[in-house]
Amino acid sequence: MRYWCRIAPLLLLLFSVSPFAQTDAPELPDTASTDLAPPAPVSMLRAHDTDDDHGHSITLEWELSPDDGAGQNSVVTYEVFRWVPSVMDILDTLRSRLSIVNSEIREADGVTSEMKERRVSLQTRLKELLGQLPEIHEQYPNDGEWHQVGNVGSRNTRYVNSGSKDTESSGFIPDFTGFYYRVDAVTVDSSIRAVSKIVGPVQSYGQWFNTGRYPVLFAVLIFGFLTLGFVIKAKKGAKLYVRPLTGIEEVNDAIGRATEMGKPILYVLGLGTADMIATIASFTILGRVAKRVAEHRTRLIVPTYDPIVMSVAQEVVKSSYLDAGQADAYDDDIVFFVTQAQFAYVAAVNGIMLRELPATNVYMGKFYAESLILAETGALAGSIQIAGTDEIAQIPFFIVACDYTLIGEELYAASAYLGREPILLGSLKAQDYAKAAVITLALAGLVAANFGWTTFTDLFIVAN
Amino acid sequence: MKRTTYIMMAVVFGLFVLSWIYKGISLQSNNDHYILDGFLVTFSAFLTLAVLSFLYTDNPFYKFAEHLFVGVSAAFWMCLGFWTTIVQNLIPRLSEGVSGFFKVPYLPGPYNFFFFIPVILGIMLLMRLSPKGGWISRWPLAWIIGTTAGLNFIRYLRSDFIKQISSTFVPLLGGGQHEWQGIGHFFSNFDLSASGQFVALVANWVIFLGVFCGLVYFFFSKEHTGTFGRASRVGIWILMITFGASFGYTVMGRISLLVGRITFLFRDWLGLVS
Amino acid sequence: MADLGIIVSLVIIFGGLVALFVRSIQAREVDRRIIFLFIFIAVAAPILFPFTFSETATEVVKGVFDKIESLPEGSKVLISFDFDPAMAPEVQPMANAISRHSLEKGHKIIFMSLWATGQALLTHSLANYILPGFPEKQDGIDYVNIGYKAGNEGVLNVIITDFRKMFPTDVNSVLLDSIEVFNGVNSAKDVDLVIAIGGGKPGPKEWVLFIGDPGNIPIGFGVAAVVAPQLYPYYPAQVIGILGGVKGAAEYESELQKTHPRFRDMDTPGLRMMGPQTLAHVVILSFIVIGNVVFFRSRRREKKA
Repeated sequence: MRYWCRIAPLLLLLFSVSPFAQTDAPELPDTASTDLAPPAPVSMLRAHDTDDDHGHSITLEWELSPDDGAGQNSVVTYEVFRWVPSVMDILDTLRSRLSIVNSEIREADGVTSEMKERRVSLQTRLKELLGQLPEIHEQYPNDGEWHQVGNVGSRNTRYVNSGSKDTESSGFIPDFTGFYYRVDAVTVDSSIRAVSKIVGPVQSYGQWFNTGRYPVLFAVLIFGFLTLGFVIKAKKGAKLYVRPLTGIEEVNDAIGRATEMGKPILYVLGLGTADMIATIASFTILGRVAKRVAEHRTRLIVPTYDPIVMSVAQEVVKSSYLDAGQADAYDDDIVFFVTQAQFAYVAAVNGIMLRELPATNVYMGKFYAESLILAETGALAGSIQIAGTDEIAQIPFFIVACDYTLIGEELYAASAYLGREPILLGSLKAQDYAKAAVITLALAGLVAANFGWTTFTDLFIVAN
Repeated sequence: MKRTTYIMMAVVFGLFVLSWIYKGISLQSNNDHYILDGFLVTFSAFLTLAVLSFLYTDNPFYKFAEHLFVGVSAAFWMCLGFWTTIVQNLIPRLSEGVSGFFKVPYLPGPYNFFFFIPVILGIMLLMRLSPKGGWISRWPLAWIIGTTAGLNFIRYLRSDFIKQISSTFVPLLGGGQHEWQGIGHFFSNFDLSASGQFVALVANWVIFLGVFCGLVYFFFSKEHTGTFGRASRVGIWILMITFGASFGYTVMGRISLLVGRITFLFRDWLGLVS
Repeated sequence: MADLGIIVSLVIIFGGLVALFVRSIQAREVDRRIIFLFIFIAVAAPILFPFTFSETATEVVKGVFDKIESLPEGSKVLISFDFDPAMAPEVQPMANAISRHSLEKGHKIIFMSLWATGQALLTHSLANYILPGFPEKQDGIDYVNIGYKAGNEGVLNVIITDFRKMFPTDVNSVLLDSIEVFNGVNSAKDVDLVIAIGGGKPGPKEWVLFIGDPGNIPIGFGVAAVVAPQLYPYYPAQVIGILGGVKGAAEYESELQKTHPRFRDMDTPGLRMMGPQTLAHVVILSFIVIGNVVFFRSRRREKKA
């Protein structure tokens, strides 16, 4: 009892002061509700029609916000807004209804006149509204609101608001309509942003000429005039020099060899059609070969892949025999059609090579995967082989398996060299001069690039 | 036919049937169409081996495989040409009714009547088959050649001419990400790695010499004598090295196809490889 | 077992090559069918007893890889399957690898083809090789297959200005306007990257001529080995990178596995094919050496005579 009397006042004191010992937790500063200042807006915002395009596109450019990548509130995105009149909602509704009608028509088993009428009526209404868009945009800032049309990341100072030219597409941007734009500099917290000045009205329209393509224009003009000039010069009878080509020079020797051995000559025009340049060049060479063969009274074998090529080749060989004064030696069976199946044709020609054992095989024209098969079989048969093709992938095979090869453009040069036709000669000379120009320009550009003279090297930049 | 040929064909037929049965049984557990799939795999393997048998000698199996391929591909391309070009590209622009019949979406447009022009040109091109009317086909052919030349002329000039000229503007000292900082710096940081300055420098010189000398080789207006001739020889050497590389790449491509076929035989047909 | 198999194969091959060399030196004829047999063994043995090599991506291949890696998530990537079954063994592995990489990076992929046979291969690839690894990806939202259209480079000529004029719908007849992937994509110019996979015509060259250069759009190539040398002049000014043949595919797969661990267990046909490829190349190189030695020996003998 005495114990409890002694400690009772102590307990009483303890319990009485304990409420005063309780203090509220100190109020922590509320960081979330700190008022952050918005970033600085972009400056020098300007909008203009996108250059060198077909229209329906506006380009916006600006100076970076000072808070881009720095400052209290770093800008991470620039959001581009365009003022859109409220009538665009009606347009969108019309477009989606039109899209639904089109889907129904597509999926229906039979198109009813009611469906067609509905579509026509929607299209008419759409067209009417689209025609009124320039006037409606003049009502700015009344009866419209700002819509975001795009965004770019920080450190960007340019945005192209490019749209479709299809009026039924939701991305359609009409030409000759005054648009208004603004650019918002936005931070990580998208509610903290700075709005720029508004620019407009700005209109989009198409250009007739893409000024970024001047280099191509000059190249076309120069090359065109060169070709025209040399063709006219050749037609007037001027002697245009073409250096001798080894493969073609050897054709004469090969024909002589065949005559001595009493063996035929096999001429393969390739797998091209009559409109291909390589095949056309091959016709000229065939004419020359046929004339020499007629003069020497050697046998000529010309299996063809394409029926049109066969008929042209027959005409060429016939006229060559006539020119050589050996009309009675000509036989229609010299040139014959085999098949239009690639490997079946190759199998047939291989069979001819192994049976007839020609002294000379001439491959001139367009060849594909069969080139090595042909050349290998010819080598097995012991023939002298002369080849020429513009198929770059097949040239290595001809080079390893044939005795003489005309590489790429040499085939065209050979036909000009042999045929001496003004158009062929003229275009060959024009190409040569173009090559000379390329060599000169490449050397000049190389020197300019190494010395940092960008004025010259920039001349070769072709914009899109 | 010789007796051995009959025996050979009987043996091959027997093996074919055995393989079909074996394949069908192996596919039965996880395939509803195991009989058909077993036949298809076996037939694919048979055709593969038939074509490869040509390496030994020409034989009827190779001929059969080749003719089958030619026939099927001709039919395939004919059907495809009709369904993709005429039905998908032409008809949707010409007639709504016919589009509906073929169940393709009609594509209305203000200039659709222009698409009658290719129809007329196509009919003219078919006149090629007529001995008397064959000359009519030259007109659409001329149109095709002219249009193709016109479309491609600008593009080739831009991409294969002007851009290639500007691509030869390479730094002859330094290269890649490396600026020339003097001979001392060049030798003190010398290394033969692919990303090093030395290799980049050599590559740029090869590009410069290769383009220059290669163009000289294809110059036909002057005899290749003297310095010009020497440059031309360098050009042909570079061309031959290029053709050698191209040959090697082609060999690699052909071997890849062989690997693909043998993988099919061992994995899908024989099940020797998982 | 695999090691034993490959050792036995190597012994047979190199022993045979030595025998061939001796026979050639003795000026005895070698039947070409023996050479075919050698090539067959060189290819078949590594398929039956697989061995692979580690690959390092070269700069040319890394160009494509780094571009896909660096594009921000949600970028529009157009992948065109312009090949047929004849080219598929070479280019299919790279097509699958690039598609998987793009999906992994969260890009929105537009699949298409300029070849009729390409569409079938595209559908097959998507169903069997690409999408099974990405069950969360949705058609129309993460990727879209707009299929094949006839017209060759004419198709490219149109899509550089307006996609919808050439491809009004995807392969499931859904209008492009209703497809999320095509939001903001009116033409090929709105695409962030184009990958052209193929090797014929129309193919990578046409993509550069009609899309890449006129539209200033980054383009990467995945091509068959046959045409790769013709396309190197376009690198690096006009294309960002080239995957040439199976080697290119193997390098890309290797880089993908190094950078993205989830692909460690993926099927790598490119890497797998390098084993038989390498052995076949060694055999061919040996034939070339033997042929040249015999040729120069016989020429020297003739000169002496």
